[in-house]
Amino acid sequence: MNSSFFTGGVFSKQLEDGRESAQIFFSPEAIIARTQGGKTFTLRYDECDLEMGGASGRMVFCRNPDRSLTIFCEDRRFLRALAEEGGEELAAICRALLRRHHLRRFHHLSILLVCVVALIVALVIGYYGIMAGARAVVHKLPMSVDEKIGAAAIQSMDLMGEPVDDAVVTDTIQQIVDRLAPHSAVPNVRYRVQVVHAPFVNAFALPGGNIVVYTGLIEQAKSPEQLAGILAHEMSHVTMRHGMERIAQSMGVTIATEIVFGDTGGLVALGGEVLKTTTVNAYSRNQEAEADAEGVRMLHAAGIDPMGLVEFFCRLKEQQGDLPSSLTWISTHPNHEARIAAIRQQLARLPKTDYRPLDLDWNAVVERVRRLPPPKAIGHFR
Amino acid sequence: MQVTVRNRPAFANIHVKMAPGDVILGEADAMASMSPTVQIHARFNGGFFSALAKRYFGGESMFINEFVALDEGEIVFTQPLPGDIECIELKGTSLFLQPGAFIACEPTVHLGVGWAGFSSWIGREGLFRLKVSGQGRVWFGAYGGIFVREIEDEYVVDTGHLVAYEPTIHIKVGMAGGIFSSFFSGEGLVTRVYGPGRIYLQSRSLSGLAAWTDSFLFMH
Repeated sequence: MNSSFFTGGVFSKQLEDGRESAQIFFSPEAIIARTQGGKTFTLRYDECDLEMGGASGRMVFCRNPDRSLTIFCEDRRFLRALAEEGGEELAAICRALLRRHHLRRFHHLSILLVCVVALIVALVIGYYGIMAGARAVVHKLPMSVDEKIGAAAIQSMDLMGEPVDDAVVTDTIQQIVDRLAPHSAVPNVRYRVQVVHAPFVNAFALPGGNIVVYTGLIEQAKSPEQLAGILAHEMSHVTMRHGMERIAQSMGVTIATEIVFGDTGGLVALGGEVLKTTTVNAYSRNQEAEADAEGVRMLHAAGIDPMGLVEFFCRLKEQQGDLPSSLTWISTHPNHEARIAAIRQQLARLPKTDYRPLDLDWNAVVERVRRLPPPKAIGHFR
Repeated sequence: MQVTVRNRPAFANIHVKMAPGDVILGEADAMASMSPTVQIHARFNGGFFSALAKRYFGGESMFINEFVALDEGEIVFTQPLPGDIECIELKGTSLFLQPGAFIACEPTVHLGVGWAGFSSWIGREGLFRLKVSGQGRVWFGAYGGIFVREIEDEYVVDTGHLVAYEPTIHIKVGMAGGIFSSFFSGEGLVTRVYGPGRIYLQSRSLSGLAAWTDSFLFMH
């Protein structure tokens, strides 16, 4: 005999409130429930009608034929103990109930799993939809939109340094741009290079053709080919409209976040911002690789040796080292090693040609830059 | 400790007359007034994680106030909604309360949070529910009047009207009738409750009031 006690309850009109909690145990012939008030109720196994339900779905109800007495228990072991004590017929019913309960639970878990998977799929499709949609919209816009946005942006930006108007410097850089410009993927783009005196080893392009080159970068470049490589990369950002894509994608993610979460306040807003930064930055890494490839194509077409770009990356690699591969994803640029390898692979596929050296007095340019007041901070090429 | 519920049903409040040493637990912000002889101690509603679960899933505060009478005194508890307050006495039994319904209980009552299921959530009854169990009295409130139904088999409740129910009650959410009737009768989804057990219902639905108010905001 199972000597366990179970905590449960009794429904009966004999009780003052119609129900009471009870201790339940088994005798050889019946289920016995002793209420807190001291009343004892007996339900014979051969008269017991079993059901499962309740708020949790696993409450076991044992009823007599006229349903005037119900003994109930939610203990997981109760049904198994009843199957052991109640004879073959009751044991079969208990097993059937357990099976049905497990099936229902499996059914509910399956629905939950399907809902979770559907949500993840919807999020992934939504994200890639926004990215692709924003990109498609940008490429339908006329280039004049890029020019207006780029002009407004450069006027409102703090360039972190004074503009350099030394003709030796600006004319040399403009000559490199002029040699590259006829080979850009989009014709008639007016490239305007602005040299800014600041220590950053950096350059960036804005939509429409504004390119900013910092003097820190000019000092680091050992030949005009190295600077030409970087300028070709930045000009490629302009022709491939990467800046506009990032604006559109960022707007798309913001709008989608607000549609999904409503009025984004507090943590939700922060979460949305993190999502936006990580996703848009990750995409930007692809854009950098695209700009490298397009830049190499432009250099090759213009007869400028693309190895200048490789050499410049090698210099950066020596000075700064590579990012650990685990951090590459969070960087806006692929690591130097990966970029150098990708450019070398592309060069191997390009037809052989005789590159014409840039006939410029690079030492004079670097000398002019060095004569400017010394820079105060350090930075890197973007 | 003598407890009476006054100003029923519209603006019910709980009036507690305490003897020295009496203790009662109240939901944070439920106290309307009290004697200076009553000391208040705020503590986590269960452990830290349990309190967190009650706050975010049970619709209750993370903190619960323990009121201890140092001498004879009184406390008045109230609820934010205009409506009735019900008292039930647990004798080793349990009761599920909808989020926000709990007001006060005796210290021998155990408060926990349980998963209510998606059907409860769809029926606007909350994804989680507060479970009160053990021994002692519990006071809970509702919007409008509270009425009790003893369920033998099946009963239909409009969503948002269920306030409390015994754990022997099984809940399902379904359409009020056929597709046409469900959408055009204005009833939409209903909660089907299956007995045996007792349910406590509120005569008004807060979401109903919100929708009604909303319609005027939209018009103007």
